Amino acid sequence: MIRISGLRVLYGSFAAVDGLDLDIRRGELFGLLGPNGAGKSTTIRVLIGQRTPSAGTVTIAGHDVVRDWSRIKPQFGYVPDRENHFEEFTGRRNLEFFGQLYGVPRMRAQDVLEMVELDEAADLPVRGYSLGMRKKLLLARALLHEPQILYLDEPTANLDIHSAEVVHRILRERVQKGATVILTTHDMDEVEKLCDRVGIVCRGKLVALDSPFALKQSHIERKIDVIRNDGERFVFDLENERSRNELAALVSTGGAASLRTREFDFHATFLKLTGQSFE
Amino acid sequence: MRWYIIRALLVKEWQRHLANRGGIALAVLLVTSAVLLSVFAPTEAAAGTGVVGGVHHCYIDFDRATPLIKHLQLNTPPELNGQIVFRDVGRAEKINGLIVYPTGTGALQVRQTFAAQATTGRDTLTVFVWHPDGDPAALAPYEAWFWRESRCYFAERARTKGLEQLPPEPAFDAQNDWTVIEAHKRFQDQIASAGATGASVVVPDLEVNRKGLGGKVLDFRAAVATGLVVFALYFTCVYLLPTLNCEERERGVLLAQALSPASPAEILGAKFLFYPTAGIILAATIAAIYKTDVLSSLFFWLSLLAVGGGFLGIGMTIATLARTQRAAFLGGMCYLLTISMLLLICSTNSIPFLSNLAVEYHGPRILHAALSGDVYPSHWLHLLGAVLLGATWVGAAAWLFRRRGWQ
Repeated sequence: MIRISGLRVLYGSFAAVDGLDLDIRRGELFGLLGPNGAGKSTTIRVLIGQRTPSAGTVTIAGHDVVRDWSRIKPQFGYVPDRENHFEEFTGRRNLEFFGQLYGVPRMRAQDVLEMVELDEAADLPVRGYSLGMRKKLLLARALLHEPQILYLDEPTANLDIHSAEVVHRILRERVQKGATVILTTHDMDEVEKLCDRVGIVCRGKLVALDSPFALKQSHIERKIDVIRNDGERFVFDLENERSRNELAALVSTGGAASLRTREFDFHATFLKLTGQSFE
Repeated sequence: MRWYIIRALLVKEWQRHLANRGGIALAVLLVTSAVLLSVFAPTEAAAGTGVVGGVHHCYIDFDRATPLIKHLQLNTPPELNGQIVFRDVGRAEKINGLIVYPTGTGALQVRQTFAAQATTGRDTLTVFVWHPDGDPAALAPYEAWFWRESRCYFAERARTKGLEQLPPEPAFDAQNDWTVIEAHKRFQDQIASAGATGASVVVPDLEVNRKGLGGKVLDFRAAVATGLVVFALYFTCVYLLPTLNCEERERGVLLAQALSPASPAEILGAKFLFYPTAGIILAATIAAIYKTDVLSSLFFWLSLLAVGGGFLGIGMTIATLARTQRAAFLGGMCYLLTISMLLLICSTNSIPFLSNLAVEYHGPRILHAALSGDVYPSHWLHLLGAVLLGATWVGAAAWLFRRRGWQ
């Protein structure tokens, strides 16, 4: 669906994106991760036609984003990281205006308002909305024309747990209906819970690309934390045979008060992959 | 261009102003000012402008209170009663340049020399016509009255000299000195040939001198009305257009619209359609309140389009150069102050040509001419100047838009 080949974006002499290759499949919920300044937003800017690549190509459904921009434009919805509503209009009027540009029926505004649970506040001016409500209104706007591609830049930032769940549900529904979703976020739990695949970029380059499960498998720590009956703490490395035997002996003699496996830590993995791990 | 998108964008602009109300409040204030200007007109003359011809007062300054002056005083027509002011300036030399005439006024200075003092040995009537600069016909209604009553006076005087059969009244054009003098000479000859004794005593020789007052062109009320009309166009095109455009850019709403199916041409086209149209409607409303007849004047509409186009180009240029709403506001203010200073410096120092490069130089002149109904060939040249400058500004703005990116 989306093919990024050798993408390079320069700001002066600084390469914000440096030879990025990525294939995103139709109906996939893809997480694009990376530290601040890694090149995620620049990549999204290229995808939404707001930045021309310095080198490389980006195609969406076979159409080049630079040459065939007018054909690509109606196919995607975009939720920016910074809200951009008409403050003086109500939520409903904001959606109706963009609905008119997309040529969708007026009632569609009500549908998406209900979808993001903003229908009760629909007739209030946006200037009175909380940050979370504004974020949900952005998602509602992006869903107006039922796009085949959704770009979301931190869609759940500032949202409470319930609202974040609503957003997750909507994204899953969209994916089930065949839409392709690209998500950038700093919430690792969200990525793990939501994304089919994850691409981690750092300094403009792709450093990891896999499903969250596969990343978990390849970066899990095979260690067990044990507290002995006398209160002393030990860590047994399951990769080491001697350590395994010592653990077995301790458990068989009943000397272990508690055992805890070390869970996969996506955050730590992310930091390690991006070269920013805490030592 | 798709109409449903243009319509949605135009409605959006209108609704934004309805919601914010600031722009509408100022428009209402401008219309209220025009209503007050019209309601509190000092006289009924010239559709409530208080102006007859091109001035609101015409001074008849004389060095001697001769019977001619008394005749003129007694025969002031009712329609000019509030406009004509007689002043005895006492000494002849005082007339020759020591009197200062306020803006929006003109004068007919009457200087009489009698045969005894004159080197020619004949009575001489010298008339200095002080008219507003660039508008030599501004005193036409006063001159017409002056020449008519002067002739009546001299004819009456001929009767007292025993001339019963007066010659037919010669035709003359009050705006043409040559015909005035020629008509007067014919009148003099006719009186002489009719047998009046001492024809030169009955009808003195006539000299007419015409002089501009030096920049004192605008009537105060007409100037205020012109100012309101110009400001209505400036406010919508040079202030509202760039500030709201930059506000949308700053907030990211312009990006949101750009990512919708609306094309840049449609988004910008709607903006550049809405603001000049709103400005022209507001300006026409103000002008109509001041003087309804102006709406039927082609010159007025052409002037509005030319000035509106010029201001649109300036507004577009500011909208391109400024990135934030604050920068756009300051850009508009800086432009206004700079151009005002430039025009003032050029005017006070008599610097030629430079003023012609400003839309603000031509705009008020053509709009004032349209509002006062006194359109001369020079005003058409000003209109042409405004059109050329407007086209230059729009071209420059379009080039900048392409170069810098409209977002």
